Amino acid sequence: MTDLVPVLVVLVPAIPVVGAGLALLARTARQADRLAMATAVVTAVAALFLACTAFARGGRAALQGRWYLVDGASGLLLAVIAVVGLCSALVSPSYLRTSGRSWTTAARSRSLYYAALFVFWAALLAVPVAGNLAVVWLIVEATTAASALLVAFTGRRRALDAGWKYLVLTTLGLSVALLGIIVLAIGQANAGHHDLHALDWHTLRHAAHTLPKNPTLIAFVLLLAGLAAKIGWAPVHNWLPDAHSEAPAPISAMLSAALLPTVLLIAWRVKQTLEPSVGVATTRAVFIAFGLTSMLVAIPFLWQPLPWKRLLAYSSLEHMGVIALGIGFGTPLAIAGVVIHVAGHALAKALGFYAALPLLRIDSDAGRRAPTGVAGESPTTAAAMGISLAALAGLPPSPLFLSELLIVLGGVAAGQVVVTAVAVLALALGFLGLLHALIEGVIGEKPAHRRRRPERGQRSTVALTAILGTGLLALFAAGVLLVNSSFVETLTRGTL
Amino acid sequence: MNQALVTVILLLGLAVIVVRRRSVAIGLIAAQSLALGIGALGLAGGRSGDYLVASLVLLTKAVVLPVLLYALIRRTPEPRLVVAANGPLVRLAGAGAVALCAGLLMPPLGLGNSHTEHAAVALVLIGIAIVVARRPLLFQLLGLIVAENGLALLAVSVPGGLSYVVEIGALFDLAMIVTVAAAFVHRIHVELGTGDTERLGGLRD
Repeated sequence: MTDLVPVLVVLVPAIPVVGAGLALLARTARQADRLAMATAVVTAVAALFLACTAFARGGRAALQGRWYLVDGASGLLLAVIAVVGLCSALVSPSYLRTSGRSWTTAARSRSLYYAALFVFWAALLAVPVAGNLAVVWLIVEATTAASALLVAFTGRRRALDAGWKYLVLTTLGLSVALLGIIVLAIGQANAGHHDLHALDWHTLRHAAHTLPKNPTLIAFVLLLAGLAAKIGWAPVHNWLPDAHSEAPAPISAMLSAALLPTVLLIAWRVKQTLEPSVGVATTRAVFIAFGLTSMLVAIPFLWQPLPWKRLLAYSSLEHMGVIALGIGFGTPLAIAGVVIHVAGHALAKALGFYAALPLLRIDSDAGRRAPTGVAGESPTTAAAMGISLAALAGLPPSPLFLSELLIVLGGVAAGQVVVTAVAVLALALGFLGLLHALIEGVIGEKPAHRRRRPERGQRSTVALTAILGTGLLALFAAGVLLVNSSFVETLTRGTL
Repeated sequence: MNQALVTVILLLGLAVIVVRRRSVAIGLIAAQSLALGIGALGLAGGRSGDYLVASLVLLTKAVVLPVLLYALIRRTPEPRLVVAANGPLVRLAGAGAVALCAGLLMPPLGLGNSHTEHAAVALVLIGIAIVVARRPLLFQLLGLIVAENGLALLAVSVPGGLSYVVEIGALFDLAMIVTVAAAFVHRIHVELGTGDTERLGGLRD
């Protein structure tokens, strides 16, 4: 199977790029939908095949070529991006049928939407397998352009505001990250390594102990600070709640469940690569600081009665913090927790955003205020929202319960008792906030003035709830097996 | 790179935060990119590959992007002057302080030329300051380009230069971001009748 890897590494991002081109050629909405569905299925199958190839290697070293690197972390992210991208493409026709206005003319809007979605998806799929830090930066910058257009797709004032903020803030953040990359390039050039491959992950890892300590430390801090703006870590998260809440629901799912962890993977690789030069204590402190800050900043918002998608956005802030904390602890238990958390968060968060589609059909004001008593109006939508919220809150048997438990135990194993205690407190407060939203918004009494509407077109919601809900349960079971596995051991040790 | 040229590049970046007219700011960016391009061509020496890449960067940043931005301001006329929150001298003092801090606080990056290192980091910070201090959308976009020019200044000064893939890729990304941002500026102007970001804000918790 490994013989196919060099081909698949090219093919996986190439298929959606071709799909984007074909979408632009579509003459009718129906044709665009069909092309998009076909492209999405083929892309997901190819990406999942590549992910399985990475998983099948278990604890063995990463597969590396001149341009690519496929390891366990690549497999995890490829699987997450494939599943979320496929689901987002599948629910997009439903969104586009009811979305109303868009930035462009109605005739072109569907083609442009799919073209931007596939370019965005292609860039996301390329990041985990790219073997070079500078190339990864170029691809991430490309995701900004495509996804900013999607965030502002409706062309409404608030969406334009969110899209502009996202474009400017993340571009500035990535500029700071590029400054860090150039500082690393200077260090490598001074050591006699001038070409592009001087910035390959494995070259950097092997050269890290010879790089000058202070400039490398500056490069590490600049890279992490810059990437934090794209990951949405506090305190540089300002774009995140706006972009997630104003983007079309399928795009919000891709932003939250796929983009954020994908950029987080880069931060993780930067940590692994530069740790020999910068020192374990420093890299750990930076990740823990971002993680704890993000979790603590998210709490007050999780307690507010926020519109559904905005609540999910602040939940993303909390969960990116949890993942950062796990990477910062860096023990096998914490890394097992990180793996489960990335996958579990993706499934639960994507389901939550897809539930926003029927929710907005039931209550058109749900985009502006907190939902109330959805179960009384649409049990199907309420089920999707309930499963998503319960999983995100970490209510057993949610895989996020298991992952958070493992990260906490990993923190204790790492000797970070005080940090772990603060994290437990933050997790408990976040749990209560989401539980409150679950009780009030989903299960609670529906307002007397709203009449129950007949549920139409709910088949896709039921199917997605069943599939993603089952996925969450399966992940819980698989997560138990993951602890002490050679896969996690290799990820902890570092595959670069 | 010649120290006088580096100083000119830095001063042109500082001037963007001061000027009132969008067309003048675009002219300043074009001049800054031109100065940067000339410096890069000087560093390319006899290496034909470096020379070609530097020429491409110069053509794109000093000609193509300013023409695109100039066409954009022709299509998005402001009905009245967007009043800045702070006067030009305050903005200049703020950006100057940021640039000075970069010079005083930034430890050596390994280039062996502290003037270029400080100027490059100062330009990145001035770009961020422009985004923060200027309300018009177009000025915020110009802030991104100033920051990118700071990065380009450092990149061309790397011994042996950065890889062509990175230089051309970064240029392509910049062109893409500027094009998308220009589309935003146009659309927001259609929606609001102005490019004032104060009128845009409304997303608060």
